[in-house]
Amino acid sequence: MNNAMSIIFASDHESKLNELTLHRTSASLPVYGRYRCIDFALSNLVNSSITTIGIITRSNYSSLMDHIRMGRDWDLNRKNSGIAVFPPYASNTSRNVFKGKIEALYGILDYIENSDDEYVIVTNSNIIASIDFDDVYEAHVQSGADITVLTYNAHPTTSRRVLVESDLSGRIRGMRITQSASDELCEIGLYCYMFNRKQLIRLISDSYERGKIDLEKDILQANLDNLKIHAYKVKGHAALIDDVKSYYRESMAVLDSQIRNSLFYSVGKVFTKVKDSVPTRYCEGAEVVDSLIADGCKINGKVENSILFRGVVVEEGAVIKNSIVMEGGKIMKGSRLNYAITDKDVTVTEDKSLSGSENYPVVVVKNKTV
Amino acid sequence: MYTNKKECVAMLLAGGQGTRLYSLTRDLAKPAVSFGGKYRIIDFPLSNCINSNIDTIGVLTQYKPFDLNQYIGNGQPWDLDRLNGGVFVLPPYMKGETSDWYKGTANAIYQNIEFVDKFSPEYVLVLSGDHIYKMDYSQMLAYHKDKGADCTIAVINVSLEEASRFGIMNTNPDNSVYEFAEKPKHPKSTNASMGIYIFNWAKLRKYLIEDEEDKTSQNDFGKNIIPKMLADGQKLFAYNFSGYWKDVGTISSLWEANMDVLDPSSGINLDDSSWKIYARNTAEPPHYVGKDAVICNSLITEGCNINGKVSNSVLSTGVEICEGAVVEDCNIMPGAKICKGAVVKYAIIGNNAVVGENAVVGEKQDGMVDGQWQITVVGPNAKVEPNQVVPVKAMVD
Repeated sequence: MNNAMSIIFASDHESKLNELTLHRTSASLPVYGRYRCIDFALSNLVNSSITTIGIITRSNYSSLMDHIRMGRDWDLNRKNSGIAVFPPYASNTSRNVFKGKIEALYGILDYIENSDDEYVIVTNSNIIASIDFDDVYEAHVQSGADITVLTYNAHPTTSRRVLVESDLSGRIRGMRITQSASDELCEIGLYCYMFNRKQLIRLISDSYERGKIDLEKDILQANLDNLKIHAYKVKGHAALIDDVKSYYRESMAVLDSQIRNSLFYSVGKVFTKVKDSVPTRYCEGAEVVDSLIADGCKINGKVENSILFRGVVVEEGAVIKNSIVMEGGKIMKGSRLNYAITDKDVTVTEDKSLSGSENYPVVVVKNKTV
Repeated sequence: MYTNKKECVAMLLAGGQGTRLYSLTRDLAKPAVSFGGKYRIIDFPLSNCINSNIDTIGVLTQYKPFDLNQYIGNGQPWDLDRLNGGVFVLPPYMKGETSDWYKGTANAIYQNIEFVDKFSPEYVLVLSGDHIYKMDYSQMLAYHKDKGADCTIAVINVSLEEASRFGIMNTNPDNSVYEFAEKPKHPKSTNASMGIYIFNWAKLRKYLIEDEEDKTSQNDFGKNIIPKMLADGQKLFAYNFSGYWKDVGTISSLWEANMDVLDPSSGINLDDSSWKIYARNTAEPPHYVGKDAVICNSLITEGCNINGKVSNSVLSTGVEICEGAVVEDCNIMPGAKICKGAVVKYAIIGNNAVVGENAVVGEKQDGMVDGQWQITVVGPNAKVEPNQVVPVKAMVD
């Protein structure tokens, strides 16, 4: 679709990612061996020909800037349109950084007003899914909706979730915003919306002037009766990553070929920053099964049910099981990892052992040596 | 003052048909052939240029240029998308009433004299697109200037037996060349020309024009330009290069060079952050290694899906090895699929080729010497039927 622009929030509800977002936004959280979370949002948009993209940052955004640069790796270094990164907005009168999405959008209202696109995709960057926005657009137009809310089926967790109840026509009649976990499979909002641009501008100005800050509560939930708000259930695999548990679970899910196909081969390619690493070298002592391995690794040990990012070194006799080793990790001779997540450039020295459990993996902070 | 001027412009000869690679170059030029898992042959001279601070490169194409043109694009993967300079694809073109194919290596440059003149360079570096090596051309240029040479030719020391396959430079103690022998029966020395030349542009320009007027000339650097310059008493110097260098013009040598990448002692270390080899990226996810996979001593890259046994092999982007398949001592090019139970040994499998279930391709070889491997080839897009047996050294199209 060539009449839409997009606004991406680089961070939202990331407090539960703990150490993993100490030095970065959730947008730049490394996933699946060579990606950052935001690559999915950016690639989905680009694959649907949406090329005017504004990214709103809040804090810790230098890793995001380094990842995106001029947007070339997503073909977004354009003369017209392309990528715009907005540093945290603070108005001249208040010295505080914006409090909620409404205030953040109000801060870049000029940018939204300057466009002549008809629609705006407003999305979080911690969504893992392959989304065809042409299809969303068709549904949006066909239903005559004011706002389309993208949803998926999942169990509510202790992170903030928007549960929607829609009628047969797909119109959302009820909405609960909750942080209590449940075993019940619910239709949950993905924090990704399609708005009509002019209406979005009116809604944002109006809500901001009334002192509202919460987009989900004050614009969606409050307007279920006044506006036609429809749900669009995303096809294929979808997930939100907003705590260590969901990060670990979603990472491991990609070892399933069906989920891998849904994410990487169903709608379009997933683009990311190119680093020109060499192919991965398997040495004589390599024993690798059921794992996702990025380029530039050197493997001479045992790797099982794990994910290795670019440039990881696994020395002779090291054993990595059920773990995620991020870029530049070095697992030295005789070390053992089980249910561990090691952040970028972590070194595990000889004969050390790190072990967590499936619902509570050990996390080693960036640049540390164990 | 802002000018277009460049000290040195590189001209990369990429028009060769590569007939000795048979079906691998049926639909694409030799420099566009895959190598080392995620590279193409042309990535080596292009990356060498940018790593040597040479940012203006003319790529002379002629044979089946589309893949190569598309691959080079605007030169961005090599950081060659420049406001001034960058990479230019130069096919033959119409001039007034006439147009000509490139008749020889020298003629290709002759036909692009105007292109080179636009940058008013002092020096022109002439390269070919069919060698695997890492070389700092800026050091060769410094040597060229230091010697006050008119032409400097990079040479590599080869064995006496091999020498008769190359152009041999016979040199004085100061490394100046007194004689050039093209594929001599009785070589006097073992300094083989690598097909890499630096010329003073003014001088080369003059020789190219004279060579074009000589109707008996084959318009070739090795056969005509270099001997003519020698005969005229110009200053020619040999520049000794001692790193890894391999002509990948034959099936056997292409396979060998891929195997060299696997061997840490071969000298072609691709994992060198100070001298990266750049390539166009295809945006594939990391490779997946399945529950039944066994991989040892191999190079594997993005987009691969491995469920079988792989050893001593180089697998390119998006290769699929199904359960129970065995791949040994192979070079498998992008997108190829080895189906269940197939056994592939000592082979090159072309782009997007499919080896059917339980098929057998090639066989293990012992005690061969370099250059004489009996390599089996399955060409690009070719299909080996299930249970088919492809004998050693056969070529499936």
